[in-house]
Amino acid sequence: MSPQPYPLWNSEPQPVLLASRDRGTDEWVFPAVPDASPLAVRHQTVPVRGIGVVYSFTVIHPSPKSGLAPYALGYVDFPGPVRIFGRLQGKDRPAIGDRYFPRPDENFGYVFEAVAA
Amino acid sequence: MQDTYITGGAMTPFGRHSGVLAPELAQQAILKALDDAGVAPGDIQAIYCANVLGGMILGQLIVRDVGFDGIPVYNVENACASGATAVHLARHALFAQQYDTVLVFGIEQLTALGGGTIPMQRNDHKTELYATAGMVLPAVYAMRGTRFLHERDARPADLAAVAVKNRRHGALNEFAQQRTETTVEEVLASRMIADPLTLLQCCPSQVDGAAAVVLSSRRPSRARPVKVLSSVVVSGIRERADDDILDAEITARAARQAYEQAGLGPDDVDVVELHDAFTIAELLYYEALGLAPHGDAVALLKSGATQLGGRVPVNPSGGLLAKGHPLGATGVAQMVEVMWHLQGRAGARQVEGASIGLTQCTGGGIAGVDHAASSVHLLGV
Repeated sequence: MSPQPYPLWNSEPQPVLLASRDRGTDEWVFPAVPDASPLAVRHQTVPVRGIGVVYSFTVIHPSPKSGLAPYALGYVDFPGPVRIFGRLQGKDRPAIGDRYFPRPDENFGYVFEAVAA
Repeated sequence: MQDTYITGGAMTPFGRHSGVLAPELAQQAILKALDDAGVAPGDIQAIYCANVLGGMILGQLIVRDVGFDGIPVYNVENACASGATAVHLARHALFAQQYDTVLVFGIEQLTALGGGTIPMQRNDHKTELYATAGMVLPAVYAMRGTRFLHERDARPADLAAVAVKNRRHGALNEFAQQRTETTVEEVLASRMIADPLTLLQCCPSQVDGAAAVVLSSRRPSRARPVKVLSSVVVSGIRERADDDILDAEITARAARQAYEQAGLGPDDVDVVELHDAFTIAELLYYEALGLAPHGDAVALLKSGATQLGGRVPVNPSGGLLAKGHPLGATGVAQMVEVMWHLQGRAGARQVEGASIGLTQCTGGGIAGVDHAASSVHLLGV
């Protein structure tokens, strides 16, 4: 994944995804607003802590010609609140309400990993 | 406020037009629309060309040899809502009395792209990040489908039934790309694309087509002139963390404005052409357009009310699922279809006695909003 102009993770030993909080409305947005954005002054960078819950998902079945295996995508709701889209890993088929946590990924920046039952 | 009329319209068959370049494809619809309206190129004062992926100044390219003699050409892009947006803008100009007769056409040649899903607009950090993870429009709709099945106690067969209905309608439409009927079993057995959406629940991505209408503030002399009763284009509001992805907020908002503008309600509508890019979309739009109360979309479909012969036939053309979805042409083609129904010219798929029709289309392709654009028009005779 190419470098991003916004911080995706913080620098804690166990990195945490970063979002932005609107200073006026308290609304969170992901990814964080880039420092160079004219809107940056209106936002504060905040860590997305805790475990997320799957709001909805799909399993993509690439064309057989691609040779790619199916993969799961979903919206995951985190405390903030903030809803984040991403890859869901660790289960062949997620379910609404499943719990996932984010972890860094070199291809996508982050993925969501299923919390072990 | 003065009236706006659709004085004529036409479309090409939607399908593969291999080896046909944009001028030849669009001119088919343009010349037939002019003929249908009983006007010559010299009667047209401005042109609105709707297109998404065809490149710059496509409108001027298409009309260069037709004989419009240098009148203004406006190229309009609003993703899948481009055609409807072009009509909306043309109506503004008529209201402002800048012109009294204009041509609006839409065209798209998706076969040139080689198939696959429509690319996202990635010139944005959020959309780029999400698209890298795999966000595409089928995935967005599939997640709506998953949530719908979860919340509404619905079954995959309920989604498939939308495709069955619209393919049945499309079989009656000589302009539709898919002209064979199908069954729930065939729909569910087709290749899985984005669970729960199978191939036959996604509109074809290999399709070309064009459609054109003539708009005028002058009342045409033909019987049953079609009037644009309302015309609304709205944009998406940034998604919030607690958004309900089943409420199709942008379309519900556009519909409320369109009904208010026309002084009509959902019960007044006799025929609907809506944006069924995926089966789940039609069910969500039943509720967003007020055709069904919240939670009753599947019940409305099962009642038969939205099939030909029902109370309010939806997508008698076959919709995007059967007719095809050449992006820039879709919004204009929806209006051509409704015009034909209102004037009793829709042939085997005619909705009998229709006097009020509704068209709806949405444009997507960016992250962080329900859709980028939605447009609702009400037409009447």
